[in-house]
Order: sequence, then structure tokens, then C-alpha cells
Amino acid sequence: MEAGEIARFLSYIVLLLTSVALFVSAGHIPSSMFETLGAGAVPRFVFGTIILVAFIAVVDSLRKIPRDAWDRFGADTLRWVKSRFLVLLCFGIFVLYLLVLPVLGFSLASFAFVLAIQVLLMPRSPVTILIAVFVALAFSFGLNALFADVFNVFLPRGDLFHG
Amino acid sequence: MDSLLSALSQIFALSTLTFMLVGTVAGIIAAAIPGFTVTMAIVLTLPLTFNMDPLQGVAVMLSVYVGGLTGGLISAALLGIPGTPSSVATTFDAFPMARKGDPGRALSLGVWASFFGTLISTAVLVVAAPPLAVFAVKLGPWEYFSLIVFALTIVASLVGSSVLRGLLAGLIGLAISTVGADPILGRPRFDFGFEMLETGLPFLVVLIGIFAISQLLSEVEDARTVRSGASLVTGAIDFKTFKVMKEVLMSPVNLARSSVIGVLIGALPGAGGSISNLVAYDQAKRASKTPEKFGNGTPDGVIASESGNSATAGGGLIPLIGLGIPGSAVDAILMASLMVHGISVGPRLVLDHSDLVYGMFIAMAVASFMMLIVSVLSMRLFLRVAAVPKWLIVPTVLVCCVVGAFALNNRVTDLYLLGFVGLVGYALRSLGYPLAPLVLGVILGPIAETNLRRALMTDGDPTLFLTRPISLIFLIAAVLAIAWAVRNHIKTNKNNGKNAQDAS
Repeated sequence: MEAGEIARFLSYIVLLLTSVALFVSAGHIPSSMFETLGAGAVPRFVFGTIILVAFIAVVDSLRKIPRDAWDRFGADTLRWVKSRFLVLLCFGIFVLYLLVLPVLGFSLASFAFVLAIQVLLMPRSPVTILIAVFVALAFSFGLNALFADVFNVFLPRGDLFHG
Repeated sequence: MDSLLSALSQIFALSTLTFMLVGTVAGIIAAAIPGFTVTMAIVLTLPLTFNMDPLQGVAVMLSVYVGGLTGGLISAALLGIPGTPSSVATTFDAFPMARKGDPGRALSLGVWASFFGTLISTAVLVVAAPPLAVFAVKLGPWEYFSLIVFALTIVASLVGSSVLRGLLAGLIGLAISTVGADPILGRPRFDFGFEMLETGLPFLVVLIGIFAISQLLSEVEDARTVRSGASLVTGAIDFKTFKVMKEVLMSPVNLARSSVIGVLIGALPGAGGSISNLVAYDQAKRASKTPEKFGNGTPDGVIASESGNSATAGGGLIPLIGLGIPGSAVDAILMASLMVHGISVGPRLVLDHSDLVYGMFIAMAVASFMMLIVSVLSMRLFLRVAAVPKWLIVPTVLVCCVVGAFALNNRVTDLYLLGFVGLVGYALRSLGYPLAPLVLGVILGPIAETNLRRALMTDGDPTLFLTRPISLIFLIAAVLAIAWAVRNHIKTNKNNGKNAQDAS
């Protein structure tokens, strides 16, 4: 509970600091002689409001965090990361998929990705593995064919084979 | 009379009805895929209608539209991912209802509410199009800006457990919308030298990343449940079709109010289903005797959201037919399809092509019946999604998200953005930030900025926002929305404190 509040407190701080930087940056956007507000006015207004709300949130959050919670923060964070191991692994594979997609092409990369995630998450048995291979084929080569032939949308073909 | 008969004969031709049926099914399926929006489905339909008669083409596109407005409900109810922005509020109650073991009822409620919402909006379109169009055209940039402020404060104060985090999420959305060329003079802003950022962050990619990717990642948090092969939604699959129809009709006030809200918001250019479902939901919650049940799977929430978003279809056609002003991206595509056939869309459309206008009215009604029949007959197929385990859903929907994000601009860089936004979305979700205000901020930011700057270019006096009556009403409503949310927050905290004291 406290670890969550400390994480939220840190998120308010990040928002506050980023908004201050972008507020200053928006001040350098040139104004226009044709209108009262320039291109930088709305960003300044938005980031100014974020600064105000984030500041209130920081004060509100500090009030809610017990003093001893800070000592436990490191251990609690580590425990949270461990409990989200599967999420982080899936996201890592997803990022890898996005990176290799332009190289291998949509069909091959998607086949490997769908199969890998399924094998990672499923209760493994000969039947489920057969289903996984079929689904991976349908959502890679099948989807590619559907989009190319029906919608005339051509998904990445891959530099490796068509470069 | 001749025009009406001509329209009837064109719509009820076998070929038109067949194409409309295909369009309805395609719309439902497309919107059920997270990231595959109704707009995208209609854009993809447009080239297919070039060889059709003008009315046939528009009728098919309207079928895709009506089907799509309902299709968003499927993933909203079963996966907790709004298939389209117009079904964001549907997730608030339909998803908890499905998770509690009543997915069939959640879907059935949404389908019937959508059906009645579309019918009511078509009736209003036919009867009240001229006066509503006159009202909508009287609104200036002051009123539009205030309306957007109102919409944003509603959603920020409506969702989540913290008003502060709701406001911050909405503001983050507005901040994202300031990236790229400014909407009035095209000056570059916050592109940091990246070519992709010069035109701004594509909102569809942000929408898919924030909602879909983060939701899918959160589905695999519990390794034991995932590996057990459990499905996303559990419970008996029972639609209770006619029982639910009666249930929807037993809430006539909610249904009528939400539909009228949908029509009114749909008639305002720039405001569409993405706002109407939230406003209708908010109004239903405020009017309810049991507002605490909202967000926990109450039928009234599903009825309000779905009838509210479906009713925008008819509302959006009001300024399009009456004035030639498209109310939304979908209406703009409909307008383009008519222009391809050499038909000029404007105030003279009703006079010069009355058969076409009547035909559009009839097509809306026919499409809503088709949507109902297709949904009721094939809902068991859609519910198969409920029986599919997470290990199948997560990777396949992730691939659909990638396709949706890529197909928009055919840019690989959009996919990297998708991954980044997905991670940010997951972090925000884990930290308890509501995501709906963020997405609404991204969509409404450029419209708000354009209207604010246009208002001050027209007249430099900023007090006009407060002295123009309609603008003032929207701003007062915005302040009241925040005050109401803060009051509720304080009240809940006091009750929690009291309960804790009693317990000790």
C-alpha cells in the first residue's frame, strides 16, 4: 500500500519536473503577429496546469506516506518487480517482435511472436501445442493474406528477404 | 412522395440489402478488434463503393457505421478494452458484469440499447433535423471550447478513485496533443528533431497502446491463472435476449435521455460517440437512485453508454445533411463518398437529392434492424471469445493491435511508438491513473486549441467565454462536475475513516 503511494509520489515528481522543462521550452515557440495567442500559449497553459495539479498531488501524497514506509520501499519495489516477471518477459518479447518485424517481415515475425507467447503462457500438452501452431499460422500468414487480398493493406514484407 | 418511393425501392433492392448485411457484419467484426476503429473500417469500405450507385454506396457505409458502433461493445464487455473510443464508458459496467459471470447479459443489454439508441436517433433525425441544425450552427468557437472543457472535466472527475489523478491523466492527454505542428499556423512544437513527431502523435496508435497493450499486459500479471488455461471471462453464456429487451425497455427515461444526449452531441461538429457515451453515462449516474452501483456492473451504465454512442450516428447526419458540415471523421468519409459520385453536399442536398436523403434515413433504420438480427443470431459466435483462454487471446490481440497501428499510416516507426505508449499505459494503470481522460485529452486537445485560438482571433475579449450564455452554461457545468467529484471523494474518505474507527 505504502509502496504504491511512494511510487505515485515519484510519478507526480516526474510529471512536475517534466512539465516545468516543457513549460520553459514552450516559451521559446515564436508567437504570431496575426493572433492574440501564439502556438506556444496552449502548451504553456497545459503544462502550467499540470505543474499546479502535480504540486497539489505531491503535497497530498506526502501527507499519506508513513515515515517508516521509505525504508521498506526498495524491498517492496523488488517484490513488485518479481511478481510482474511474466508481464516484463511478455513485454520484452513484444519489443523484440517490433524490432525484428521490419527485418523478417510481418508473417514470419508474427508467427514466431504468437507461437513464443503462447508456449510461454499455456499449459503445455500435445493438443495445446498443435492449437498454438495453427493459431500462430492464422494470425501471421493468414492475417497477412487477408489484409493484402481483401483490404489492399500491405504489411511489412521484411528487408531480409525483399530488401 | 416520389422521392420516398424511389428511396424505398433502392434500399430494398436485393443487392443493396445483401451489401448492407455484409457491411453490418464487417462493421461489428472490425470494431470488435481493439484498435480497428469504425473510421478505419469505413475508410476501407469507401473504395469498394465507387462502383455502386450513390445511395447504395452510402447505405453500405452506414451499415458498417451502425454495426461498428455496436461491435465496440464486444471487446469492451468481454476484454475490458474499448474496441473504439465510443465504447470507453461501456467498459465501466459491461466488463465488471461479464467478469462477475454474466457476459451474455452484458452483451445483450448493449445490443438492445444500441438498437433502440439508433432507432431513436433516426426518428429524431427525421423529425427534428432542421431546428437542431440551426442550433448547432449558432454555436461559435467559444461554445465549442467550453463544451470540450466540460467533456474533459466530466471524464476526469468521473473515472478512477482520485480526482487529482483523473485531472492529471486528462492533462497528460492534452499535453500529448500539443506535440507536432500547431493546428492554426502549423508551427513546429516539441518534435525534438524526430520526423515522426512533426505531424503529432497519431491518436489511434496512442489509443491502442494506452488501452489495449496495457490491458493485455495486465492480463498476464498472475502467472498461475494464465497457465491454468482460464478464460478472460467466466460464467454461463446465457443471453436472455427477450428478457433483456424488456429490461432495457423498463428503463425508458435512461434510454431516452442517453439517446437524446447522443443525438445532440452527434449533431455538434467535432463531438461524437467518444464524448456522448461518457456524457450519457455521467448523466445516468447522476440521475440514478443508486449511483454507487455504477462501475460495478449495473445494467443502467451499459444502457446509457451504448444508446448514447449509437445515437450519435443519427445526430452526426444532421449537420451533414442540413449544412454539409461533417460532424465526425466518419461523416467526413460519408461526405467524400457522395462527392466522388458528383453530388454536392450542402443545404441544397435536401432539395436537389431528396431521394438520397430519404434513402439515408431508411438505410439507418434498416441497418439498425440488421445489426440487431446479426448480433442476436451470431452473439454465440462472439461469445466464443469468452471461452478462449488468455494464452490464446493475449498474443493474437497483440498482433491485431500491431496491424491496426501499422495500417493507419504504413509506418514502422508507429510500431515503436505503440510499444513505448503501451509501457507508459501499463505504468499509469499500475499507479492508479485512469486512462479514459488521457485518451479523451489526446482526441479533444487539437479541437479545443483550434476553437480557443479562433475565438480570440475573432474577438480578443476573453470575457466572451463567460458572457455568451451557452458557453457559460458549459463552464458552470464543468466547475460543478469537479465540485461534485471532490465532494464525493471527501464523503467517501470520511465514511472509510468512520468504518475503520468502528472496526477498531
